[in-house]
Amino acid sequence: MRRSRLPFAVLAFVLVFFYLPILILVVNSFNASRFGSGWQGFSLRWYVRLFQEAEIWQAARNTLVIAVSVTLVSLVLGTTAALALHRFAKTRLQRLHYTFIYTPLVVPEILMGISLLMAFVSAGVPLGLTTIFLAHVTFCVSYVALVVLGRLQDFDDAVVEAAQDLGADWWTTARRVLLPMLAPGLAAGALLAFTLSVDDFVITFFVAGPGATTLPIRIYSMIKHGATPLINALSTLLLTLTFLTVGASQRLSKNKLFGGGS
Amino acid sequence: MGEFLEFRDVAKAFGPIQAVDGVSLEIKKGEFFSLLGPSGCGKTTMLRLAAGFETPDRGRVFLDGADITGLPPNRRRVNTIFQSYALFPHLSVWDNIAFGLEVAKRPKAEIRREVEAMLRLIQMEDQAGKKPGQLSGGQKQRVAVARALVNKPQVLLLDEPLAALDLKLRQRMLIELDMIHDEVGITFLYVTHDQGEAMSLSDRIAVMDQGRIEQIGTPAEIYEAPRTSFVAAFIGDTNFLESEVADGLDGEYCRLRISGFPDVVAYNDKGIRPGHPVFLSVRPEKIRISRDRPLPDTRINVAPAKVEDVIYLGPTTKYWVRAGGQRVLVLRQHFRFFLDEKPIRWKDDVWIWWHGDDGFMLEGFRKGDEKLVASPPQKVGEE
Amino acid sequence: MKKKIQEAALTIPSFVWLLLFFLVPTLLVFVLAFRPPDPYGGIGPGWTTATIRDLARHPYWVIAWRTLWASAVTTAICLALALPSGYAVARASPRRRNLLLMMVIVPFWTSFLIRVFAWRSLLHPEGPVKKILVLLGLASPQTPLLYNNAAVILVMTYTFLPFAILPIYAAAEKFDFRLVEAARDLGARPLQAFRKVFLPGVRQGVVTAVLIVLIPALGSYVIPDLVGGPSSEMLGNKIAQRVFVDRNLPHASALSVVLILAVLAPLLAVLFRQRKKEKPEIILEEGG
Repeated sequence: MRRSRLPFAVLAFVLVFFYLPILILVVNSFNASRFGSGWQGFSLRWYVRLFQEAEIWQAARNTLVIAVSVTLVSLVLGTTAALALHRFAKTRLQRLHYTFIYTPLVVPEILMGISLLMAFVSAGVPLGLTTIFLAHVTFCVSYVALVVLGRLQDFDDAVVEAAQDLGADWWTTARRVLLPMLAPGLAAGALLAFTLSVDDFVITFFVAGPGATTLPIRIYSMIKHGATPLINALSTLLLTLTFLTVGASQRLSKNKLFGGGS
Repeated sequence: MGEFLEFRDVAKAFGPIQAVDGVSLEIKKGEFFSLLGPSGCGKTTMLRLAAGFETPDRGRVFLDGADITGLPPNRRRVNTIFQSYALFPHLSVWDNIAFGLEVAKRPKAEIRREVEAMLRLIQMEDQAGKKPGQLSGGQKQRVAVARALVNKPQVLLLDEPLAALDLKLRQRMLIELDMIHDEVGITFLYVTHDQGEAMSLSDRIAVMDQGRIEQIGTPAEIYEAPRTSFVAAFIGDTNFLESEVADGLDGEYCRLRISGFPDVVAYNDKGIRPGHPVFLSVRPEKIRISRDRPLPDTRINVAPAKVEDVIYLGPTTKYWVRAGGQRVLVLRQHFRFFLDEKPIRWKDDVWIWWHGDDGFMLEGFRKGDEKLVASPPQKVGEE
Repeated sequence: MKKKIQEAALTIPSFVWLLLFFLVPTLLVFVLAFRPPDPYGGIGPGWTTATIRDLARHPYWVIAWRTLWASAVTTAICLALALPSGYAVARASPRRRNLLLMMVIVPFWTSFLIRVFAWRSLLHPEGPVKKILVLLGLASPQTPLLYNNAAVILVMTYTFLPFAILPIYAAAEKFDFRLVEAARDLGARPLQAFRKVFLPGVRQGVVTAVLIVLIPALGSYVIPDLVGGPSSEMLGNKIAQRVFVDRNLPHASALSVVLILAVLAPLLAVLFRQRKKEKPEIILEEGG
């Protein structure tokens, strides 16, 4: 029976569809032309210009500070949530808890953005980096919790009992048994939280207020105001960073990133 | 009748593995034909070539005189019973059976009639609405049979259909399959690694090993006249005696020289010349054992032996004896048993003998095949 | 007792956080739809149904309809591409499968804005796609590729397609492909086998894929904003305009309620169907 080639042809088309725009963008970042219409020779001028844009680097610094703190906080909140969901799975509280964790994932970003904005305005919280941080933690917790929960569901619960049987107290068990076993899940969750925080535009845009700028907000206004070659260069840098991170994470977690997520 | 399903010099490789290596085979119309062999011998690939799931690298497949080699499975009038049954989990028993008729766009009334007839045949009229997940193994198997037969295939292909069932159920389904074959009268191509299944069901058997056919014949031919050491050892138990033809006796018999053994008479239907080495296969049940020396006879081979192991099995007893430096397996059936009889015991000196017609000179011998028969005692009970 | 304390200690941090920053804000959206705006862009005192009445007077239904329509088309295209793609990845040899899967996942990790931007420059009046189309005689130099509904749907498809492939792949990977062989054996043509056996077999993956594309598509804002024109605005754009342009938060809230209802509808439909369908099966399984 000859297998139909059609699905493979579609897949090939889809992969080209995925990567061709990105590839063209990268190539264009080395194009000396200002408008990207036709190749006018190899040039690094846009990269040089990029390094002179102080606003971009300020935005990048903000993004990094927020992403790191969001990762740390959501890692703690997400992990405790996952432990609770795993250990007390059947209780009524945990069922409600699970709904709480799960629902933010199916809510469109714009709704989360607007609702957080309403909450901050109503409570009189001034918009800025702090509100961005609070908003990011809110959607990152769910992702971290589900990734770690997926990892927890893969192990044999008897190991915890075995550790206690061998005389370890709760703290020792957590530190010597649970933590090392969870490490890949934690790493995957942290990476996901970090990426989501760095990349988020919609929610950030709603809760940022006029003063605070993150990298996506900066990129958005550059797109709006047509600084094409600069974005090409910036995008290429970010893509390189992304691919390096994905490569490293693959080493780390061996395809487990999506093991429990969905 | 002539050949109905024919393989002509068919070969198929999967990467470096030559699954089927130049096989020619002719199956007659209405025949129950089995492909028997160990796992990986190529029998399932043969079946998939017949079904159209695989296309051969070389050779052709014919059905009822037409070349079907390049035909996709949906255009062959051949249906398969899969080892896993492959029932559609989202469809009811009724819809599973109706599937083939529905894709063939038969009229609704006809589909209803045919499916109901099939449900009657497999005695599952009252289970028509169930999903496969709610059926037992035997029921699933019957649905798989009905789903295939309802299309009135020219050949029914069965891929180890009983392997997933437990022993008792397997025995019952064996009888049912046999009855179905008698009833519908279509050609069955049956793939199995279980010699018992193949023997009891088949008109003819092809024994396969390493992508080739070792022997084709009726069950009795395969068992009683194995051509190669593989066939002799894979089907039933046997003893291999390494020997050399010493001289021809009157016409059809010859004398064999076996080291450490008295000379042996054997039926030489293959006309092997003196001086040629040959392996003799003697089935354990053909060998007699006794404390008393039998009366001499020119056609009977007699050797002194010492008992090394006795395994009592109820209807039979197995003896491992040493005769002339060889270990020989003897199977004795208890025609009459006296509790006060002095049984043959470990370390007893005995005589073993067999008729010259019961030793079989093998055309092919491969080192290692004897391992197939060096069966541990617990395997015996399975027969 | 100790167990209760442990459970509370592990649950409270995330629970309270989501209560404060997810549940309360979401409910607040419903509440604020009934409050008047104040002239400084904040919330005024008292209660009013004027906003809701205003909503009905505006031609918002055109935009709501367009939002539904564009999202549905995007979902359909994603499904049409994701089904064969997920099938192909699941049928690839294990070694190649991981690579293919990786290639499908990586776009998920790249910046969303950059991906939209890439298309914006591709479809630009002087961009490469336009040039090729003109060269091939498929478009005139005046044909606009950007700032219309087609561009919005194209870029939405580009953005959401990886999310559609993953659940379908996950279902296809668990699917027993011998069933396809069985269907072919019983006379089904390749496409029939796909439709009658494979599709029902990966139903759960298809449902997930639909939701995972449809819901964010309904909430789209950046894509119509960057590649759409004035006649391809979606509900998300209107919400953003009320927030950033006129600074009328109650109005934005009311629109958000409409969006929430639009998102909830398919979600509840699926939940309801599943509950109805799966219950009898579970009971029978326990019985047998």
